[in-house]
Amino acid sequence: MRARYADGRAAITRETECTLAADTLNFIIGETRAEWSYADLARADDGNGCIILKRKPDTGERLYFESEHEAELRAAAPNLFTKRARGIESPLIAASLAAAAYACAAAFLIGVPMASGPIADIMPTASREQIADISWSQVNALTDYCDDSDEAARILNDMAHRMMTAAQVPQRDNVWITIVDAPIPNAFALPDESIIVTAQLIAMAEQPDELAGVIAHEIAHIERNHVLKNIVSNMGAGIFFDIVVGGGGIGQAVAVASVNLAGLSYSRDFEREADARGLDYLDAADIDTAGLARMFDHLRTAAEGDVEGAIPALLSTHPDTATRGADARARSRPGLAQPLTEQEWRVVRSACGSGGGPALPAPAAAQPAEQPEKTPPS
Amino acid sequence: MTSEAAPAQAFRHSGKFIDVMGLAAKNALLTLLTFTLYRFWARTSMRRRLWSRVSAMGDPLEYTGTALELFRGFLIALPTFFLPAIFVYYIAPLALDPGTAGWLAFGFYLLAVPLIAAARYLMRRYQLSRTHWRGIRFGLAGSAAGFAFASSGWTVLQWLSLFWYTPVSRMNRAKLLWENARFGDQPFEFVEDGQSPQKDLWWPFALGWFGTAFAVPTVFGIVLSVGLAYLGLDAVASGEQATEPPPNFIAGVVIAYLIAVIGALLGYLLVWAPYNAAAMNAIAARLSLDGARFRLRAKTFSLFLVTLAGWIVTIFSIGLLAPIAGFLQVRYVINRFEILGEPRFAEIGQSIVSAPNAGEGLGDAFDLDMGVGVI
Repeated sequence: MRARYADGRAAITRETECTLAADTLNFIIGETRAEWSYADLARADDGNGCIILKRKPDTGERLYFESEHEAELRAAAPNLFTKRARGIESPLIAASLAAAAYACAAAFLIGVPMASGPIADIMPTASREQIADISWSQVNALTDYCDDSDEAARILNDMAHRMMTAAQVPQRDNVWITIVDAPIPNAFALPDESIIVTAQLIAMAEQPDELAGVIAHEIAHIERNHVLKNIVSNMGAGIFFDIVVGGGGIGQAVAVASVNLAGLSYSRDFEREADARGLDYLDAADIDTAGLARMFDHLRTAAEGDVEGAIPALLSTHPDTATRGADARARSRPGLAQPLTEQEWRVVRSACGSGGGPALPAPAAAQPAEQPEKTPPS
Repeated sequence: MTSEAAPAQAFRHSGKFIDVMGLAAKNALLTLLTFTLYRFWARTSMRRRLWSRVSAMGDPLEYTGTALELFRGFLIALPTFFLPAIFVYYIAPLALDPGTAGWLAFGFYLLAVPLIAAARYLMRRYQLSRTHWRGIRFGLAGSAAGFAFASSGWTVLQWLSLFWYTPVSRMNRAKLLWENARFGDQPFEFVEDGQSPQKDLWWPFALGWFGTAFAVPTVFGIVLSVGLAYLGLDAVASGEQATEPPPNFIAGVVIAYLIAVIGALLGYLLVWAPYNAAAMNAIAARLSLDGARFRLRAKTFSLFLVTLAGWIVTIFSIGLLAPIAGFLQVRYVINRFEILGEPRFAEIGQSIVSAPNAGEGLGDAFDLDMGVGVI
């Protein structure tokens, strides 16, 4: 059969006549007789309409056949018409890569969170403070500090300290609550063991024990070092994305988000742990856990009325608020006194110029009236 | 060179859209399933497909690179690029004082300018070294460091000149790349004819520059205003009236912004199409191989449409089908590429430029466009 031969030493082809033997392809160029073993050949055409053969290892030589010779070539050397001969990788390659990818993902996305506890525990104070500085810069950018909230903050800090002392929380002398004015009701812990409570969250609470429940929950995040564990986990995910995906910025975006306020949302496990531990604090301080349950009711009501999706992200990662509320209600001890006096509650309610609030209605009547948009405590 | 002209259509791309689409879809799926680790195999198979459909003087190109070579480049980049990058971006902000960490990150960004230029040169070197025609290998001689140094200087001049140096730097880069390019043992030339290489680029560039500075923002503003007015949201958006926002307020604003962004993107593509076409044609016109010259017939509107089609496919597939954009561009260029005269192919021997044994690790680390980059 006719073919064209390129010798790999000059960019031209020459006509030649090929014969197909049992194990070899034979042709003559000039006065030289060439004998190529089928086993040592590979395809170089990727199915582009002609058949191009080259030798293994590549010498630069090529044999060009028209497609009309395919049947003869296929009969003589079927190994040249397999997927592998055409350069298509074995499915085993894709399967191995998938296995490797999932192993890497498991190492980073599961292994790093598992290691996040020890890493977070040994993190130097300077590093912890630097991360806190980043979080505080976000707090300062997104919220307004309330000049008239000092007395209210002192009252909340005293209440928190009573809870922590009763529950023997090691960080009880470091935790500090700050009240800020922000567009949404929220409370969150920062890496330096600060707790931010928005005036809008205070406005949402109808009784002191509701607010105490939220603060207890945030103290539990601090005691269990969830803040730094969360940041370390997110940074592990960031490094994973950066290395595997390439430098497309996805990993850095994840890492940056992890030290921003957006990265302070916790896994369901952390939330469950903080719920349980927070209820311990309330019990130890003789504060009725039903307050936290009522706060969850408020949250559920707010989420149901959240037609514009203002409360999307945190609820999606939190355990079901109905279940959380039921857990808190199950440990309720009715008849306990409120953790703040009427006067203290009035001061707290008036923080950030909100002008005070209702004076301790009876728990049974505590139904959310007109509420602003709400976000559950994280 | 021989005096006879080359065949009427010396270059041809026979790639079928559906053929490339099928491979791109399979690659996208496997890339997703493997958290992108399959990308090296995907690139290799796509290049093999695109190269093999390009024929010159009736014989196809051949891509001989392997996925393992690309994967090896990735593995080399892990300790040499990713570890320092992880330290700079993840560890230093926590371990060092903020000032030092900030300067370190700034220095890394500055270093990225020459590193990206070097990465592009090394990518070109790898791709050419894996491209054969009639068994003869292409190649790229020269120094990646030298190119990176020169290219960084031109980049700085672009910044300092508010980008008016761009036509000069584009031709300078093309000259440096093509003068180092080889087909076998034959170098390409970037012909100097005594005239400025960028002399035909200034008016198209001015159109793109002023269009980007004024026309595109104007289009964006007009489309956004019309969109908001049509939706009856202009008063609410500007806060002139204390009316309650309509129920579809957010959706309406998002749609209006989207339409405005699309309008601005279309405007951007349109105002730069004349410059891009002129630059591609100017570069091709200066190329020579063994005395044979080349010509490219890129036109403004056809290039605009091809680029637009590529963008649409890329955006709507969130980048997964980006090779389709590469395919459209390659086919566009190849089918408009001509050779004037014919090199003495019988006297062009095998390449003596050494070929790298790993590829594109740095380019992959920077997530650079792995497109074909014909010109």
